[in-house]
Amino acid sequence: MEKRYGSFAPSVADLSFSLGQGELLGLLGPSGCGKTTTLRMISGLVQATSGTIRVGGQDVTHLPTYRRNMGVMFQSYALFPHMTIAENVAFGLQMRKVRKPDIATRVASALAMVRLDGVADRKPRELSGGQQQRVALARALVVEPDILLLDEPLSNLDAKLRDNMRNEIREIQQRLRMTTVFVTHDQTEAMAICDRIVVMNRGKLEQIGTPLDIYERPATPMVAEFVGRINRLEGQWRNDGAIAVGDSLIRANANGGTGRVLIMIRPHRIDLAAAGEPGAGSPEENMVAGTIRHITYVGDTLQYAVATAGGLLQVEKATSSATDPFQPGDSVALRWKTRDTLSFSSEATG
Amino acid sequence: MPNLTRRKVLALGALGVAAPWLSKASAQERKITVAAYSDIFEDIYKRTVIEPFMKANPGIRVDYMGMPTSAQNLGMLRAQKAAPQIDVCIMDVVVAKAGGDENIYKPVTAEQLPVMKELVPAALIQGVPGPAVTFDALVLMYAPGKFPSPPTSWKELWDKKHAGRIAIDAPPNLVGVGLTLIANKLAGGGDYRQSIDKGIQLLAEMAPLVQTWDPKPNPYAAVANGVVDLGVGYNARAQTISKQNPDRMAAVMPEEGSISQINTINLVNGSKQPEAALQFMSYALSGEAQSRFTEELSYVPTNKNASISEDARKRTATTPERMARMIDVDWIEVAKFRDKITEQWRRNVISRS
Amino acid sequence: MTVSALEANDAKRGGRSLLSALLLPIVLVNILVFVAPVANLAAMSFRSAAATGAMIEGFNLSTWSSLISDAYYWSMLWRTVWIGALITLVALVLSYPLALFVSRATRAKALLIVLCISPLLISAVVRTYGWMVILGDQGFLPAMLRSFNLTPPRLINNQLGVIIGMTEILMPYMILSLLSGFGKLDATLEQAAETLGAGPFTVFRRIVLPLSMPGILLGCLLCFVLAVSSFITPKMLGGGRVALLATEIYDQAIVTLNWPVAACLSVLILIVFGTALLFYGQLSKIVE
Repeated sequence: MEKRYGSFAPSVADLSFSLGQGELLGLLGPSGCGKTTTLRMISGLVQATSGTIRVGGQDVTHLPTYRRNMGVMFQSYALFPHMTIAENVAFGLQMRKVRKPDIATRVASALAMVRLDGVADRKPRELSGGQQQRVALARALVVEPDILLLDEPLSNLDAKLRDNMRNEIREIQQRLRMTTVFVTHDQTEAMAICDRIVVMNRGKLEQIGTPLDIYERPATPMVAEFVGRINRLEGQWRNDGAIAVGDSLIRANANGGTGRVLIMIRPHRIDLAAAGEPGAGSPEENMVAGTIRHITYVGDTLQYAVATAGGLLQVEKATSSATDPFQPGDSVALRWKTRDTLSFSSEATG
Repeated sequence: MPNLTRRKVLALGALGVAAPWLSKASAQERKITVAAYSDIFEDIYKRTVIEPFMKANPGIRVDYMGMPTSAQNLGMLRAQKAAPQIDVCIMDVVVAKAGGDENIYKPVTAEQLPVMKELVPAALIQGVPGPAVTFDALVLMYAPGKFPSPPTSWKELWDKKHAGRIAIDAPPNLVGVGLTLIANKLAGGGDYRQSIDKGIQLLAEMAPLVQTWDPKPNPYAAVANGVVDLGVGYNARAQTISKQNPDRMAAVMPEEGSISQINTINLVNGSKQPEAALQFMSYALSGEAQSRFTEELSYVPTNKNASISEDARKRTATTPERMARMIDVDWIEVAKFRDKITEQWRRNVISRS
Repeated sequence: MTVSALEANDAKRGGRSLLSALLLPIVLVNILVFVAPVANLAAMSFRSAAATGAMIEGFNLSTWSSLISDAYYWSMLWRTVWIGALITLVALVLSYPLALFVSRATRAKALLIVLCISPLLISAVVRTYGWMVILGDQGFLPAMLRSFNLTPPRLINNQLGVIIGMTEILMPYMILSLLSGFGKLDATLEQAAETLGAGPFTVFRRIVLPLSMPGILLGCLLCFVLAVSSFITPKMLGGGRVALLATEIYDQAIVTLNWPVAACLSVLILIVFGTALLFYGQLSKIVE
């Protein structure tokens, strides 16, 4: 299965990716990045200006939505308010001219699959948000679509329900081996359930990869920043492959380059030690001296703002006990692994 | 303003505001309201009758209330039965009769109104509360441009070349009722009190040629605006419109004669100023007032002493040869079967068009 | 009962008395300007009139019995209902796409709504005169047809003229009602149906139409009631050929002065309205 996009209308341009059978692909990006537009192009609700969309080798670019066999779950669920739950779920089957008794069986099993027995005769407005969500999922799945398209499916649920529903979607997707595209702006959601993630920004593709790729080896500073908190330092490549940041020398995961470079380090990958402890930088580990400016206590972590020669660095430590060894004003040594030091040469920083 | 206190200023101000009502209130002792037709009738009647009357009787103020139809005129008084705000009504004899039967009008006698002795006999109608103040007649109206020579007969209405170019006010409108009696005579139907069947039959033959049975705003405008070429209406109004648009509308009284229309002047039962009202009625019926009115609007006077110029007389229905051709009709009798005529039209005339 | 429940009950009682106090003025005004005149009208229908039109003292059933036994009035009642229904239907069919377009418009939506209802700023009488100019024998439309060598049918002074004129005059009311009913109609629902395999026609039949039913019903009720009760336009465009309940009431009240008959017919029209309202209520329940 393959989908290829040429250059599109300004909202999405020059985007190309493919999707494997049974894969759950996340479309991740900030709002307005074109991920919903992309989803709508796949479903046919938006016509692609140019480029092609292929499903199982067949070109569907110019097929109207109702001939495409996609199951779409909308952000607002879009349940038909004038129909009962059973009628909602049966709608797609009626469109496919499935025989009446078969419709009844398949509706019942779809509702059972999303654990919604006993509400078949109710109207959507009588159901809770989570229940409506399940109905929307059942309605999209019951027609056995080629691709299941989920548009921000969890954004209207409260936090606790969101985690449950997320896992449930993943579980059902795995069980049915359903090829799925999942649009979200929440990186945790995407990382938690997606096989691969497409990160988009301003209508352009930033990176395609597994959650691990995206997190550990972001292709661009944008991706690095979007998938989690991260420190930025500006530096200069030296001929020996090290980077000069202020007075300090730092080694990064890349082996040298020229000109200006942007360095990024995740706060929780930095180790904090009292100043004066032995040890200096090594090829595997960077070390920088600094002074603690603020400490913020957020329950499961402590966040330190540490002033260094290269600038302010955020450091995050899990709270292991009630006592905190450091005070604002303490001199500290910061250490982190070279392989955790992401570097982006200036041409890549855009 | 050293000597004026706040209270005095307020009192003076209040007096200033109230002044118009004060002067009105003092004149109210001799104020009467006359209700009659609106439109052209109102303009000319005010100028030729009401204003001269007020000049001759400075103690009496006459307000004119214009009503589109006689029936609406009576309707207004029905609604005011407990405390009528109108003193004198000029209206069609048929409506006046109905109002008299409901005691809305008070019958007047020659003792109260000596001028009644000067009226032609036809002006004093049995069972109607007041005497006739104007006579009029139905005429054929036509667009002169479409007629090389003026039509002379009612039969013109049956000419197929006018198909779709005729406007008739169907009953219950009294024009249609009058036309029924004319048609009955044309068809040789005999006494209309016995039967109007032949008249209805003849009208049924005309029906397919008629464009509208309810010309809007009225048949006079329909002819003058070129919507139709032929219509039936009352002489006085037709003459006035024709004078204003001589190229577009003319009126003729056909040789077979015509039907009269009578307006009576009636005293409202419960008038607060019966003396002043009678004084006005006396003036309205006088030869002097009727002459002046007829000079401008071609109604036939009811006062024997009215003197009319030759020019005005020609436009009215009063020339001796026209008078001789009038079809005698007792409107009070006709009013009794107006419903039946209306029904006959609906079943047998309008349904064929 | 707990203390808080008692308090809540008190508050409810207080709210109710405040509500009735606030409703009192409108109830009084309604009694004065609606209930009293209707009662007066009903009473008038039990009087009778002499042949000359003079009303006879005393109450009796003669007006009602003569009316009910006259087939003419029954046929008029039937004509009134079917012409009213036909006008409503035509207005609905013409207004629906317009209202749908306006409700979907993204640009200049307010302007479009104003354009749709702007005819209401001109009195129905003036608009009817406009139709007389357009449809009349010498009018714009017949002249255009003649220029194509076609013989124009009679477009005015008959039922066709009344239906054309009334439809146009009532369309703004229909459009407003439909627009208010389209509130429930979310474009996402149509897209959802499309993704489930519904073609444009099926989307309309299964989604758009059922969801706009409340607006359709409201618009139909409004237009039907207005069509049945209007007399100016039928009188001006009917040429005396289209006798409806409302025009007959006008004739009886204003021309022949037979107020008892006019009152009977008015009560009859109220019964027609009541029936329409009943239908509306039942259909609304089904649609829900």
